Amino acid sequence: MRLLLCTILGIGLIIPGLSQARPVSYPEGWTLMLMNDGSKNSSHVHYSPSAKTSLGYKFEHWRDKSFKLHAIQMNNLLKRWNKPNSQANLYLKSGIGIATGNAGAFDNERSTAGFTGIATDWENRRYFISYENRYTEANKMGDFFSQSARVGWAPYEGDYGDLHTWLMLQVEHTPEAEKNLTVMPLVRLFKDVHLFEAGVSNHGKVSFNYIFRY
Amino acid sequence: MKNKIVTTIFLISMSVSVFASHTGGNVYVDVNGLVCDFCATALEKVFGKQEAVDSVKVDLDKKAISIHFNEGQKLDDEAITQLITDSGYNVRGIRYDK
Repeated sequence: MRLLLCTILGIGLIIPGLSQARPVSYPEGWTLMLMNDGSKNSSHVHYSPSAKTSLGYKFEHWRDKSFKLHAIQMNNLLKRWNKPNSQANLYLKSGIGIATGNAGAFDNERSTAGFTGIATDWENRRYFISYENRYTEANKMGDFFSQSARVGWAPYEGDYGDLHTWLMLQVEHTPEAEKNLTVMPLVRLFKDVHLFEAGVSNHGKVSFNYIFRY
Repeated sequence: MKNKIVTTIFLISMSVSVFASHTGGNVYVDVNGLVCDFCATALEKVFGKQEAVDSVKVDLDKKAISIHFNEGQKLDDEAITQLITDSGYNVRGIRYDK
């Protein structure tokens, strides 16, 4: 099991991509999230003591900014709207930790770092829409804002345990980046506790994400 | 008067018998917000940890779960509602096997 988790973690750090998924699990649930995109690779392991909070470790490798971030991340479910055929959520996601430079002017430098942002989503069994933003501060290594939105459509409704398929489109905006707008169609495959996503952006970057909830 | 007493005792015994049949039987819970496999897993895990629960089945189409209890055991409506709420969802209704 440990070998499997290490292998999955390793794959997630190598393959680029991005993801948006619920950042809080059920009480006493663990979640492993491997999220990658054209600019960074990240992994996040969190534990939820309740259905309203999760606490975990977040690692990010910002390739274009040449630094790595190790942080303790806390996610809070601020509000959930449960309806007979849908669910909507509002989250606050924040982290604090250490950034280490791995190239250029900040090679081998260290500094404190943190980030915070909100995430919101609505979904039923056919449609999905989400938005999230984040402000990251890494002191001398820089600070930046990013935001992304996603819409999704499921071509069929599967029952619990079936393979669920979603076709999604994500738009990401990072104002300070050279290529500040990224558009990416992607496919989400979801079965039991496993969620896979793969896509290719308008900049030709391949993305791959994996989430495992246990 | 005697007839009334006998009828009352009969009705009470019938209601006790119906109540007893809930133990070891099935309870069906309609749940708001039950839209995906992660939601289903959450409810399965939370109810699976309860000593009184033998098995849980989630039906995403009906947005409901069915809980089968171990013989002689049960959870009352209040406990079921609390577990669903703690899992992050809302109860729309609770039904018992007839």
